[in-house]
Amino acid sequence: MSRFERKILFAIGLSVFLALGGSIFLAQGALREVYQVGVNERFGAELVHGVEARRAQLMALRSSTELAADAVVWSVEATVRSERDTRTLGSLLETLLERYELIQAIRVTDSRGREIAGVARPAATAGQPMRSTVREREATVGNGTLRIAVEVAVPEMYFARLQQAGEVADVYSRLQRQSASVSDIYVWVFGVLVFIVIVVAFLIGAILSRRVTRRVTALADASRKVGAGDFTVTLPTSARDEITELTQAFNAMVRDLRESRTRIEYLQRISAWQDFARRLAHEIKNPLTPIQLAAQELAETYSGDDESYRRKLEHARAIIEEEVATLRRLVGEFSAFAKLPSADLSSADLCELIQAIEDSIPAMLEDVGHGTVAPVEVRVSCATRPIPVRMDLMMLKRGLDNIVRNAIEAAYSAKPSGGGRVLVRGYATGDKGFVEVRDNGPGIPEEDWDRVFDPYYTTKTEGTGLGLAIVKKVVLEHRGEVRLDHAPEGGARFRIELPLTESR
Amino acid sequence: MKYWISALISVVATVAYAQAHLPARDIRVEWDRGSPKVSFSAKDLADESVRQELSSGLRKRLQVTVSAHFKGSNRRMAVRQFTCDVTRDLWEDGYVVRIGTGSLRFKTLDQTLDHCLSVKGLFVGEPQSYASKEGREIYFYVRAEFNPISKKQCQELIRPTAGDDPVGPITISIVRRRICQPERTLEFRSDFLKVPE
Repeated sequence: MSRFERKILFAIGLSVFLALGGSIFLAQGALREVYQVGVNERFGAELVHGVEARRAQLMALRSSTELAADAVVWSVEATVRSERDTRTLGSLLETLLERYELIQAIRVTDSRGREIAGVARPAATAGQPMRSTVREREATVGNGTLRIAVEVAVPEMYFARLQQAGEVADVYSRLQRQSASVSDIYVWVFGVLVFIVIVVAFLIGAILSRRVTRRVTALADASRKVGAGDFTVTLPTSARDEITELTQAFNAMVRDLRESRTRIEYLQRISAWQDFARRLAHEIKNPLTPIQLAAQELAETYSGDDESYRRKLEHARAIIEEEVATLRRLVGEFSAFAKLPSADLSSADLCELIQAIEDSIPAMLEDVGHGTVAPVEVRVSCATRPIPVRMDLMMLKRGLDNIVRNAIEAAYSAKPSGGGRVLVRGYATGDKGFVEVRDNGPGIPEEDWDRVFDPYYTTKTEGTGLGLAIVKKVVLEHRGEVRLDHAPEGGARFRIELPLTESR
Repeated sequence: MKYWISALISVVATVAYAQAHLPARDIRVEWDRGSPKVSFSAKDLADESVRQELSSGLRKRLQVTVSAHFKGSNRRMAVRQFTCDVTRDLWEDGYVVRIGTGSLRFKTLDQTLDHCLSVKGLFVGEPQSYASKEGREIYFYVRAEFNPISKKQCQELIRPTAGDDPVGPITISIVRRRICQPERTLEFRSDFLKVPE
């Protein structure tokens, strides 16, 4: 994990923790307050009072049943004179049953245990369950004692409600007793959930940030490689964000650096070759005149009569003069290469260059045809709109001359009796202007493409191998590039790129 | 592997510690046809406050759980539980004790406590629970509880509020566990004894 990534993750973690940790801290107080409001002593006391009230109600009902049973006894004792007065007893029991709602039935037995009277309410049809019990009493009637069984009942619902109220009060009392711990549980659960949220947020943040940090780390690694001299580094630019823009800028910078380094290296190499050419020209040129003069003098000063020897001398002089002339030409070319000036750039239209080339094509055809016009069709075209570049017209024409001449020679050598074609065209695409020269000659093998711009590399018997080197030097001094590939016609295609000075 | 061994040692140590600190009481154990019958009293569960609660007229629960364990282990070999729902009858004097589907009536609280907390000859497990464990040391663990709120009743009494709040159900579950605990608990164990051969 890189330091940058650690910092990003730390920032994410800190932000999430502060936000959610703060919310726990604040929620803690709020929860306790809310809990205290909901579960407080007053409510608890009221619930307990409710239970007590229901219990008191039941106890009151019980007392009522006891009193009702007592009332039955008192009424029997006051009204009935003897055990045999069952008629009076029957009507009295009916009256009492009607008067006391709690009484369900009354049964009276004599001292011998025989039932002498009894009344009962009809069985309840409604589904309300009742809890009943029998209150046993004794009544003194005349000389005897009657046993009175009073069955009383209350709805079971009263007991159920008491139980229900008791349970609620019980739970409430427990909640109240555990008040602190319950609110703590809420805070803990909230805290755990918040912690899970923190972890999830942190993981998501880590995953998302890794996508950014990985690219930044890749940029840092690539920068280190570039610093170490590796200009082949290129980073992918798939996303659409600021990092991608940075990556694109980095790639462009590396490309520019790569091209600049190639350009500088080539120009340094050319400069070395120019120095070599200058020395070579100097060393060869000086002895040529004495050699030529000596040969002429040898031939002219011979005064002997040997005709055969005179002819040999003449022949030798002719050979020497011819080879000296060849050497002078080479020296001239080397010297010209050595003295090749630096380009003096000024704003111009690239089509002016094309036009200048077009003007010199008839002479080139005649030159290539050794006095007769070579049967090669040369077509020249340029864009209708100006192609603004900064260039040294003369230097660039000199270079382009070499390319066009090579193309005509290649087309002519392939088709000496006609059919050779050369196309020269100027155009612009994007932020670059192009001059393209292509032919239908034999082309240049791909394995030679890297070397054709090196000085003294030539495939021609009479070439010096300086022409394309000059072209490349001139183009590089224009901050441009010259490339070679296959022409659609089958021959070679040279393309000179120059940066446009303004967008078109 | 190292961690698993450490965890195992910790668990065994914890169990041994817990067993060592559980008070031992005189629990009579008789073996009858391969099953142990235990007798003991947990009447001291009913302190003054418990007695008051039992006399309140509300239904209260007395629950006794007896389980058999190997010495040094928490794993239960057998368990037996019985529950008395005690209600002081406000309508008539006395106490109604409901055990399962049947009910009994006692005149006094002491009679009730004798019935529910003085255990005599209670079988703990079937003979097969002790088969092939002859000679091994075991002990009986007793847990007597006053008024634990049953899980079902607890769920009815403490409910989460409606809605999709994620905190509520989790919290309620923990609160229920805390709130519905027994109001009083008595725990003890027997001396270690061997399963007879």
